[in-house]
Amino acid sequence: MTHPDRRRFLQLSAAGAGAAAMTGLPALGAAAESPVFKPEPGAKIELLRWTAFVPSDQTIWDENTKKFTAATGVPVTIQSLSWNDMGPKAALAAQVGSGPDIIMGWNDDPFVYPEKLVDMTDVVDNLGRAHGGWYDNARSYCYDQDVKRWVSLPVGCTGNALNYRKSWVKEAGFNEFPKDLDGMLKLARGLKKNGHPPGFALGHAVGDANSWTHWILWAFGGKQANPDNSIAINSSETVNALDYARALSETFIDGVAGWDDSSNNKAFAGGKIGLTMNGISIWYNGKKDTPDIFPDFANVTPPMGPVKTHTISNNFTSAFIFKYSKYPNASKEYLRFMLDKPQADRWVTEMKGYVTPALKAYAELPIWTSDPNITPYRDALASAKYDGFNGKPGKAAAQALDEFVIVDMFADVCVNKMSAKDAAKKAEAKLQTIYKRA
Amino acid sequence: MRRNLRIYVPLVAFLAFLLLPFWWMLLTAFKSNRELLNTPNPFWIFHPTFAHVTDLLTQTAFPQWFANTLFVSVASTVLSVFVSYITAYAIIRLRFPGSEIVSTAIFLAYIVPPAILFIPVASIIIQLHWFDKLWALVPVYATFLVPFCTWLLIGFLKNIPRELEEAARVDGASNLTILWRIIFPIAVPGLISAAIFSFTLSWNEYLYALVFMTSSSNKTVSVGMTSELIRGDVFQWGQLMAGALIGVLPAVLVYFFFVEYYVAGLSGSVKE
Amino acid sequence: MTSRSPLLARLDSPRVLGYLLITPAAIILLGLLAYPLLLGIWLSLTSATIGNPGAFVGLQNYATIFADPTFRGAAFFSVFYTVCAEVGKLVLGLALALLLNQRFGGYRISRALMLLPWVAPTVLSALAWLWLLDPQYSALSWVLVQLHLIHGNVDFLGSGWGARFSVIVVNIWRGLPYFAIGYLAGLQSISKDLYEAAAIDGANAWQAFRRITWPLLLPITTILVAFSSIFTLTDFQLIWTITHGGPTDATQVFTTLAYQRAISGGQLGEGAAIAVSPIVFMVVLAVFVVRSVREK
Repeated sequence: MTHPDRRRFLQLSAAGAGAAAMTGLPALGAAAESPVFKPEPGAKIELLRWTAFVPSDQTIWDENTKKFTAATGVPVTIQSLSWNDMGPKAALAAQVGSGPDIIMGWNDDPFVYPEKLVDMTDVVDNLGRAHGGWYDNARSYCYDQDVKRWVSLPVGCTGNALNYRKSWVKEAGFNEFPKDLDGMLKLARGLKKNGHPPGFALGHAVGDANSWTHWILWAFGGKQANPDNSIAINSSETVNALDYARALSETFIDGVAGWDDSSNNKAFAGGKIGLTMNGISIWYNGKKDTPDIFPDFANVTPPMGPVKTHTISNNFTSAFIFKYSKYPNASKEYLRFMLDKPQADRWVTEMKGYVTPALKAYAELPIWTSDPNITPYRDALASAKYDGFNGKPGKAAAQALDEFVIVDMFADVCVNKMSAKDAAKKAEAKLQTIYKRA
Repeated sequence: MRRNLRIYVPLVAFLAFLLLPFWWMLLTAFKSNRELLNTPNPFWIFHPTFAHVTDLLTQTAFPQWFANTLFVSVASTVLSVFVSYITAYAIIRLRFPGSEIVSTAIFLAYIVPPAILFIPVASIIIQLHWFDKLWALVPVYATFLVPFCTWLLIGFLKNIPRELEEAARVDGASNLTILWRIIFPIAVPGLISAAIFSFTLSWNEYLYALVFMTSSSNKTVSVGMTSELIRGDVFQWGQLMAGALIGVLPAVLVYFFFVEYYVAGLSGSVKE
Repeated sequence: MTSRSPLLARLDSPRVLGYLLITPAAIILLGLLAYPLLLGIWLSLTSATIGNPGAFVGLQNYATIFADPTFRGAAFFSVFYTVCAEVGKLVLGLALALLLNQRFGGYRISRALMLLPWVAPTVLSALAWLWLLDPQYSALSWVLVQLHLIHGNVDFLGSGWGARFSVIVVNIWRGLPYFAIGYLAGLQSISKDLYEAAAIDGANAWQAFRRITWPLLLPITTILVAFSSIFTLTDFQLIWTITHGGPTDATQVFTTLAYQRAISGGQLGEGAAIAVSPIVFMVVLAVFVVRSVREK
């Protein structure tokens, strides 16, 4: 879908049903920079975001921010923290009722304190209409079903894909990467036999352990909960997933139960493993640090299991505004501006694939096809499920994710040699406690 | 010769255990990423590089973080040692009613860890409008420095003979004068050891500095390094290790010069 | 200096001056410590979540956590971790102190160098340890393999008990200097005459240690262990950085679990209960230490 003229969309949406939610509509035919959400007088915004994964992200974001300030007169201060350290800050802001106006957080963060967050429906509608709509996954992470409104503005995800060494996959007897999980298991065995084993984290690695375990769980039809939040983990599908994982884990390199998020990057770059799952950082680092083996790196969308659809797990990032903010309109306008085409085109491109945008229109950008190894990351959101699937995203799912219930279930089978049935039962008991309390 | 064996063999063993991670930091700081990830011998640097160190010093705000940490550490040390001294003096020398309760209470100060305590402390900091003010870390750090330093100084002051005070009182000195003019100079070794302890703990603190400061210009070394040099799952190992080493230098210098005082301070506080 | 105003004289009385002098400490500790501490205990008695004060629920949170196998595991490992680490630090710290107490060439620089583990920020030295314990990159494994003592790399962190002992070793590594320097001070306060008298009586080194050194070091031992235990029992950053509580919750301790529940999961009441639960143990420890310090 080609991107229609922005002004035209503003006119259309102004006439549309969502008009009531918008304030400060620009006069039709006004200059392109007039705001959709009119900033409060004397507004200034404080944004807390995660430290950019790649420096060009930071540069472009800052440039776009300056543009915003020039256009609206609203100054913006930005604080960056490592994505792992944002948790306590966000919790603190929600708890004490003071802090940044906007936080760009992760996964279920907004669902831990939805009552503290400003309704984002109008921004969501505005951006969605102008940019081809949102992926379903965006709704899963930003629309709170308890308070029944959008509590956060979807931004995107750090996509996950499989990363492998082309020559070693060929050596194991595969001319192209297997299209299903059975094939992948055969490949894994071949890789191990040739001394280039796969490596997938089984320790408390926040990103890497959750990514592959959820993918496998869902690929076999397993799920954590049902739409009414009753626990659904103890099922034959889960057992099948666990059995597959056990077989796969027998091909893994040693020590994965002690891996953190940086371990597979190190192992892959050092040529110790031939296959893993990660964000695009692992591929880019090859370009920088190990240029001699870099041409052998490749990325591919993780294959399907018995459910015959892709079932990816990503880390989703969204931006939420606290109700204590004195400048919610300015904040909304800032976010809308930053995710709008003139700004976001450059931003998404300069992020080089690290973040897959939640707005579908940005999938058209040339960056995604500039290299076939970047393309799998473009599609990460389209086939993604959300943690806590198929239950209600919310406090309980957030807690279960933070307590590594799914990861530990897989680790119990693969590392602690528990039977799949027992592991599923144990996870069920844990989830029942968590969901009851939430 | 046997004495040398008895001393140097275990000494080398101990130092090897204690210093191995620092050796690793040193190696990593000067190794290229390529070599770090794939090398025939991890204990050797085949192609040393200064890039990590220069990048750390010029491309991050490390010098600012260093200055911040130095400021906070020195200030909390001064505050804590001062407060601990007068508190210890009050408890031990003045023996006012309730001093027993106070000294027990001081010890209980460590029960709830910062990992949880930071939330209620944060609400107070915010209500006082101290949020994101670097100097606010100083009184906050005092909360975990004062208890131990007070104990330390109680033990030290206890061993100072009462005759000194009695003689001074006979000369007509007020308690206040005794506090500053008589006892204080004798307590210096104890004060220095309390200062060293405080400086070390302040320098190393992470959670409060992370949570209570927001502007980049207010970050301390630990917070700054982990927030800027860990981007997602990409760790800038070389710079991290270089920063860790440079970060350790002030404390090491302090210790090297004052370790004799530190030991004397502690030994003074545990004499029978 | 014979005449003083009545006001100054009043101020100078032990009682008034005493209260005056402890005022700064009192303000700092009461305001920034006692109040949050009591608030923390209060939180543990409510169903508070992030942003929601919840309701008073009495000891329900405690009932919940005591029934939770993850909490029981964390409680077990917290105690195990602390006991092992304290014993390790005590024994090794004393051994090192005995060593450093002798005047040998380079003893001053050794004393300064050995303090490094305690002096370095945990969050950074833990990162260095991650490399030394790495299943693929450990320099330690490399040495052992080169010496043909083992065939493959050691998997330090990949099993429950492996990870547990690894964090214990790192804790010992970090705290050893604190004990060593404390014992060094203690050793220097023991009069040499005692050892001379013992030598005359024909005592050997071990007997001298058992009869003279160790008993005289008991006071400082008590203090060192007491404070160190509290710091170890409430340790957070070391374990969080190296294992994040894993694998499969094997290295969870009170603070990591409390942090996970309270901050990541938003369950403030329950997280506070977990953090506060070792309080009884710590109060007993505190009272014991203060009593023994007083009885001299």
